[in-house]
Amino acid sequence: MKVYIPDDSAAVSVGANRVAAAFPKDVEVIRTSSRGAFFLEPLVEIDTPNGRAGYCNVKPADVPGLLKKKPTPISKIPFLAKQTRFTFANAGLAKPYDFAALKKARGMKPQQILDEVKKANLRGRGGAAFPAGVKWQTTADARGQPKYIVANADEGDAGTYSDRMIMEGEPYRLLEGMAIAGLAVGASKGYVYIRSEYPAALKKLRAAVAQFTDFEIEIVLGAGAYICGEETALLESIEGKRGMVRYKPPFPAVEGLWGKPTVINNVITFATIPDIITRGADWHASLGTATSKGTMPLQLAGQVKNAGLVEVPFGATLEEVIYDFGGGMPTGCKFKAVQVGGPLGSIFPKKLLETPICFDAFAKVGGILGHGGIVVYDDQMDMVALARHLMEFTAAESCGKCTPCRVGSTRAREILEAILDGDGSDDDLALLNELGDTMKNGSLCALGGLAPMPVLTAIQYFGKDFRRRK
Amino acid sequence: MLEKCVASPPNILATLQAVQAAFGYVPLDTVPAIAAKLGVTDSDVRGVLSFYHDLRTEKPGKHVIRFCLGDSCRATHCENSLAAIEKKLGCELGETSPDGKFTLEKVYCLGNCALSPNMMIGEEIYPRLTPKSATAALEKHK
Ligand SMILES: Cc1cc2nc3c(=O)[nH]c(=O)nc-3n(C[C@H](O)[C@H](O)[C@H](O)COP(=O)(O)O)c2cc1C
Ligand code: FES
Repeated sequence: MKVYIPDDSAAVSVGANRVAAAFPKDVEVIRTSSRGAFFLEPLVEIDTPNGRAGYCNVKPADVPGLLKKKPTPISKIPFLAKQTRFTFANAGLAKPYDFAALKKARGMKPQQILDEVKKANLRGRGGAAFPAGVKWQTTADARGQPKYIVANADEGDAGTYSDRMIMEGEPYRLLEGMAIAGLAVGASKGYVYIRSEYPAALKKLRAAVAQFTDFEIEIVLGAGAYICGEETALLESIEGKRGMVRYKPPFPAVEGLWGKPTVINNVITFATIPDIITRGADWHASLGTATSKGTMPLQLAGQVKNAGLVEVPFGATLEEVIYDFGGGMPTGCKFKAVQVGGPLGSIFPKKLLETPICFDAFAKVGGILGHGGIVVYDDQMDMVALARHLMEFTAAESCGKCTPCRVGSTRAREILEAILDGDGSDDDLALLNELGDTMKNGSLCALGGLAPMPVLTAIQYFGKDFRRRK
Repeated sequence: MLEKCVASPPNILATLQAVQAAFGYVPLDTVPAIAAKLGVTDSDVRGVLSFYHDLRTEKPGKHVIRFCLGDSCRATHCENSLAAIEKKLGCELGETSPDGKFTLEKVYCLGNCALSPNMMIGEEIYPRLTPKSATAALEKHK
């Protein structure tokens, strides 16, 4: 008898290792990645004639006699069955990685690879949604040598975990994507910059890199600085310096790591490349909305019943994701707001739940999709306290190079603190708006540029929270 | 010992990370030696040392708690568990408990947001914290 139990760190946090250890010796325990239905972990699966079936939320004490009970077919779990999985197609399976895309890419000319990625219209999944093919072409055409490939695995946005899942679950998909980028632009070496908060992912990644001989890749460990997710600060950090944002231009694609042409993409962006090569650009471009192509691995978190990874084509609405997949609010909680795109993402009220998951649809309503993190807040969340927390975060994480971000975030935090303490004045909201405008227009990077957005949208949609204290 | 920590090619951050891995922190009196070995100034080293939240210049407690203040953990009201921990330890975020057993640090996201609120002790994640489960987790660390 064989059972499959995830060794993903989230599954482990709710006891997957203890469950695995509870099985007797005659049961073969195979450790896999997690399917991302974290509300069901530990999810113990078995093979059946009709595919995998599983036992949900298993505790060590449940293990004796567990396999005599009737399991639920995985295909009957709506949260998973309704998804369109490509980047996470193998999540939860124990499938050896075949590197079919890399084999195919080796038979292509570099320009053919570049054209394919451009035609696929793949936009970066790290936050800025810039077309990957255009970036790669710029580096391919740049004159400097050597050239580098950098994977941004800083995954700083609170409420996100898809990079972590790839690195823990299928690190070869990332490495393969980087190697293909290397072929396309003529790069000699790759770097993965991984945050220090992910020790389990680091171990899995190290093991994979040690086995991977197709492209030289070095792992660089971050040291707990959100700003080092910003691409130029990240490059400074790899060089061993303070993570200070660089002026652009020159763009990293032309002058990046040690001044050399550098492709820098998010983990999920690289992990999407293998499917684009094997299935073709047209397949990718056939999914999604007019301007956001393919699928987006969304990450549900906060006050939602079924929290976990939801990979769907662009175009699904926020409401569908939160209610059809997420199952809505946990018992006893009432919806108040949702924040999409991490700590720099706007805060939306119920009426904006009709917004489709699409970079441009979000821009149109004054938000960002970012890295696809969706955090749901219940009616116990005081928006002033939340706004203060977010500004405290920005003030703590600002690299300090530009004044609007460095000083603006601290001033905004002080004003919000005063409102919170009941010392707010009538001018405070006007002042916050003005300060927000200065930060938006005058900051060097998107940390200062976007940090006012959650605060200003919170004031816009939940003004009552801010006013009742005066 | 310090010799072994110096990254080659010279890299200030990687060197400081190695020093911290070896000593648990970066003693300030090692800065001149590190700077000399890397061929940079003391202030270059201090600049990097003060920039990164992970790097500390004081000896930490026996166990380091990284308590998540990320958005998902906020949304699930982590402040209640944090208050219980602070009370139990007799110290606040950023401090070490008087008995020297725990250093309580904040972190913005552990990537375990689907099971919020979270904290990490050593490399172990404690999910779905309640004031009760949070203080019980401390008991497991002697
Ligand atoms: C403050 C700040 C933090 C960022 N953090 C991350 C991050 O953690 N991960 C990431 O992939 N991109 C992050 N970005 C975006 C990067 O600057 C960059 O756009 C991205 O790595 C490019 O890859 P992509 O085109 O594949 O998304 C951040 C940007 C800013 C301004
Ligand atoms: S926000 Fe706390 S684990 Fe992600």
